[in-house]
Amino acid sequence: MTNNLIIKPAYLIAKDIKDKKNSQGEVYSFFEKRISQHNASLNAFVDLYKNNFDNQSNSNLTGVPIAIKDNICIKGKKITCASKILKYYQAVYDATVIKKLKSSGLSLIGTTNMDEFAFGSSTENSCYGPTKNPWDKTRVVGGSSGGSAAAVSARLVPFALGSDTGGSIRQPASFCGVVGLKPTYGRVSRYGLVAFGSSLDQIGPITTNIKDCAYLLNIISGFDQNDSTSAKVADPDFTKSLGQDVASLRIGLPKEYFDQDLNSEIKETLDQAIIFFKKKNIQFKKISLPHTQYSVPTYYIIASSEASSNLQRFDGIRYGYRAKADDLWQIYQKSRSQGFGDEAKRRVFLGTYSLSSGYYDAYYLKALKVRRLIKNDFDQAFKEVDAILTPTTPTAAFKIGEKIKDPLSMYLSDIYTISSNLAGIPAVSLPCGFTKDNLPLGMQLIAKDYDEATLIKLGDAFQQDTDFHKKIPELKNV
Amino acid sequence: MFDTTIGLEVHVQLNTESKIFCSCSTEFESPPNCNICPVCSGQPGVLPVFNKKALSLGLRAALSLNCKINESIYFERKNYFYPDLPKDYQISQYKSPLGHEGSIQINKNKKIGIERVHLEEDAGKLIHKDKYSLVDFNRTGIPLLEIVSHPELTSPDEAFDYLYSLKLILQYMGVSTCNMEKGYLRCDANISLKEKGADSFGTKVELKNMNSFKGVKAGLEYEVKRQAAQLKDKKIIVQETRLWDSDKLKTVVMRSKEEAHDYRYFPEPDLPDFIISKKMIDQEKESLGELPKAKRERFINQYQFNEKESCLLVENKQLADFFEKVLNFYKQPKKIYKLLFGPFLEQVNLLKGGFDSVKISAKDFAKVVKYFSENKINNLGVKKIISLTIDSNNDVDKVIKKEGLIQLSDEKGIEKIAEEILVNNSKAVQEYKQGKAQAIQFLVGQIMKETRGRANPQLARNILERRLKK
Repeated sequence: MTNNLIIKPAYLIAKDIKDKKNSQGEVYSFFEKRISQHNASLNAFVDLYKNNFDNQSNSNLTGVPIAIKDNICIKGKKITCASKILKYYQAVYDATVIKKLKSSGLSLIGTTNMDEFAFGSSTENSCYGPTKNPWDKTRVVGGSSGGSAAAVSARLVPFALGSDTGGSIRQPASFCGVVGLKPTYGRVSRYGLVAFGSSLDQIGPITTNIKDCAYLLNIISGFDQNDSTSAKVADPDFTKSLGQDVASLRIGLPKEYFDQDLNSEIKETLDQAIIFFKKKNIQFKKISLPHTQYSVPTYYIIASSEASSNLQRFDGIRYGYRAKADDLWQIYQKSRSQGFGDEAKRRVFLGTYSLSSGYYDAYYLKALKVRRLIKNDFDQAFKEVDAILTPTTPTAAFKIGEKIKDPLSMYLSDIYTISSNLAGIPAVSLPCGFTKDNLPLGMQLIAKDYDEATLIKLGDAFQQDTDFHKKIPELKNV
Repeated sequence: MFDTTIGLEVHVQLNTESKIFCSCSTEFESPPNCNICPVCSGQPGVLPVFNKKALSLGLRAALSLNCKINESIYFERKNYFYPDLPKDYQISQYKSPLGHEGSIQINKNKKIGIERVHLEEDAGKLIHKDKYSLVDFNRTGIPLLEIVSHPELTSPDEAFDYLYSLKLILQYMGVSTCNMEKGYLRCDANISLKEKGADSFGTKVELKNMNSFKGVKAGLEYEVKRQAAQLKDKKIIVQETRLWDSDKLKTVVMRSKEEAHDYRYFPEPDLPDFIISKKMIDQEKESLGELPKAKRERFINQYQFNEKESCLLVENKQLADFFEKVLNFYKQPKKIYKLLFGPFLEQVNLLKGGFDSVKISAKDFAKVVKYFSENKINNLGVKKIISLTIDSNNDVDKVIKKEGLIQLSDEKGIEKIAEEILVNNSKAVQEYKQGKAQAIQFLVGQIMKETRGRANPQLARNILERRLKK
């Protein structure tokens, strides 16, 4: 009876539990068993909770196991952000999203691997070692929410939460052939998400299909008085957007994303998707987002500046790793030198530099201005179109070790996803094809502020008639 | 000779019940690390939420210091590592302070400009032990208001006057208790000397650790002398931070300019901009009430106090308020004043909680003043009544009755007692008759003793004198 759980969407697993076709315990042990079979080869989970089910609450996802990226606080549980500096730290409170999941009766099954403090695009910058791509274990899963994407892709769990600062949900979703949605900045409370780039970070769902994404978004979104940057906007029922007619919606194709450098396999799959949407009577328009070329440098200045400040609290004084040292300044220096990995140090240096007096105007302040221009580009575009379609990534999943020594090429793997974080707007990556080597590819749909509904509507229309999202990587039992 | 230039940076703790970015209590004397939460102890993932009461109090202060108010304000992060700072950055204001370009009238002739007034969070407290240090985060996140003067003070005396005027205004506005001993008001100074009449400022020295009003004055006076001596010897003044040592009565070097921080200020991304609407400003303005300077002037005009009396009354807002309440029941300002600054304050000073523990009602106190003025009770009686009612809900009339404090002004009664006293104290009588005038004091004392303090002492004296002359 539980065999079909790997092909069943989460909301239907919940329905079976409600209809007493399955019990919470059966579902939980099914996925626990899958994790125990496959996690050793994938390295997707970093902490697992035993028998953490039997929820009394009643929602349409009650009893479904969910995995949580290791940078979201769960009271009493380890939270490390895949960093040595937090290796023995236990969260002292529940993040707002965790409170919401608990009160909706989801079963937290464990926490997932990531790039240290979410710095990275491959989940190689982890103190636990890299997560392997379920489609090809010699390849990366993307990052930084790589553990969550791999776990969902391998069906070790029906869905998961990730966080996205510059593509950290969408890029690994694309590499793993699953759905990853970054909500509008302010839609989901950040309280309890260990901050990377505070003005960019959003928590979002990673799911096998867009329907689950809508159900999960319903639960985690909403204004939170503990997060002054969360928005006081109406929270629609996102499941109402499922099965809706998409005819006469307008999709923009930004010329800057479809230039001659675009990988031909990716271009072909996107062309297929465009043909699909056209059949649904969707209009396509060529648009321009002229400041696109500045998004990567702008992002790395803003995100690193904020990160350099956010990471200061990991100082060896109150919690986390403390090196043996003789005086206060040695505690700081040694704890941080030994506790942080290379990429974290690189970002701290970069951010500290761009905020330093004498450089602030030339870097940080200028980046803020460019950010505004990038946002203006999108505002302008959304006067003409309802959504924008782009590739999620410039390539399919690359080899483990391929880019780790070349930070710039690694940074460029987020080239298509970064802009929506800078603009604060929602975006989703949907599986839309495979390379000749059977590696998944994703397309990205971007909408205006608080218009996740359009993304869900389009995504659902696409998934009604395609089965890219139904393909499951073959995993050998270890 | 030299001109002195001083600017003051004052931090006051705002009168809020909870901290500026979380809901922890601001209780002062709690055991270490009892008033802390994930937010103010800097746990991973926490976010600040701005306490609007702090904004309201900050706004009151800025308005009463005649500041221009920024229409929109935002917070910035001031980044530096220190164990008392849990996030290793302080949420403060930098480019958009709450108020700017204000002023304080520090005496009749002098107004001092205020550069800026801004909100920020306090740091924790380090407790240094022999081989290690402990940190108490109770104070972390307590709302502070920083008030920076222009360098327009020209002497330690003026600095003292500025601080005094500032304190009084903030107390009057209910912004802060400004208790310096408890650290609710902290003051740092920048001081430099230059040749008399010179155009440019001399090298400035930052002075810290002056923990009392007297300390501020003494520290600055010391610096004036030290810097003048340096300059006379043609030695240069080093730009540095010095600490006032109130035991050794001198300043010592804390750090030189080379060690100064780059705080890498940038806008706090976890908090939105806050709009200060005209409505908010108008509301605060309306509720400001009377400033101390206006009250002093009114007391002089309305109640015919001299300047000194008026200053003394206004110095303590609670006392001034109490005075005007008493006046509602008994319209004799000078008579009220006399008892307030005599037996009343004597008793207040004995109370553990000071004025906060005073319970006697204005109406009851008015009765005491009235009875005293009408000779119904004498000095001793007043003291006794006040001591029995100051911090209790005892009714004045009942206490007078119970303690039998109505003054005996019955001549025949006192005559009778006097007669006995004269018979029983023949030695004193003889001394008086031999010309030792003080002896009568002893006899008056005996009458007071006999009447348990109730006799009108003047009357007793008159009677004794009359009889002794016979």
